Amino acid sequence: MNMHIKLRNTLAEITGASVAMIWMWYNLTEASIMTIKSVSKVLAQGIGISIIVIIALTILINIFSSIVTGNYEKNIEDERDKLYELYSLQLSSAIFGISIVIILVLLGWFNLTINTGLIAITFSGFIASIASLFLKIYLYK
Amino acid sequence: MAKKKIHIENSVRKLRFNNNEMTQQELADLVAISRQTVVAIEKYKYTPSLELAFKIALAFNKEIQEVFFINQ
Repeated sequence: MNMHIKLRNTLAEITGASVAMIWMWYNLTEASIMTIKSVSKVLAQGIGISIIVIIALTILINIFSSIVTGNYEKNIEDERDKLYELYSLQLSSAIFGISIVIILVLLGWFNLTINTGLIAITFSGFIASIASLFLKIYLYK
Repeated sequence: MAKKKIHIENSVRKLRFNNNEMTQQELADLVAISRQTVVAIEKYKYTPSLELAFKIALAFNKEIQEVFFINQ
């Protein structure tokens, strides 16, 4: 628990995104025979789950940390945070951008089904987000 | 010369102790940054912007070159 608020919040975000990805993965095992409507529903629910889990985990971890350490740590955002945010945003944009191109190529030339394309786009978004969060952890360490 | 990487160092840690053993949190509050940023600056892991460097120098009542300098 001896980690600062930025690391705690980043870990909560990674956990939330990972939980949502795992949930979607288990609900999309039969994606090849599912309709676009049902696949989209699962993906939208997955995104919603990630948001809820991240908010809940952030609150819980910070409450637990405050109880353990006995003091409330304010989340002050300064120029260093903004710089690191920019680095992580650049990484996630690069990963997501490359993924989109690859998926479009696979859809256009290699007969990738639309269902798989939708899933791949959503998952690449999550992977880009997780990679950028790991970069943040590396920068804050 | 232009391509040569310069290492900017600082005497923030020393100045804190010379200022009634000011804590990292006190300095952070004075210049409106997080304590982790003060730690990163002291360890030379992060070089602050010119504006923040001036704020830190002002917090110690020093000229900027007395706080931040290049290690030749």
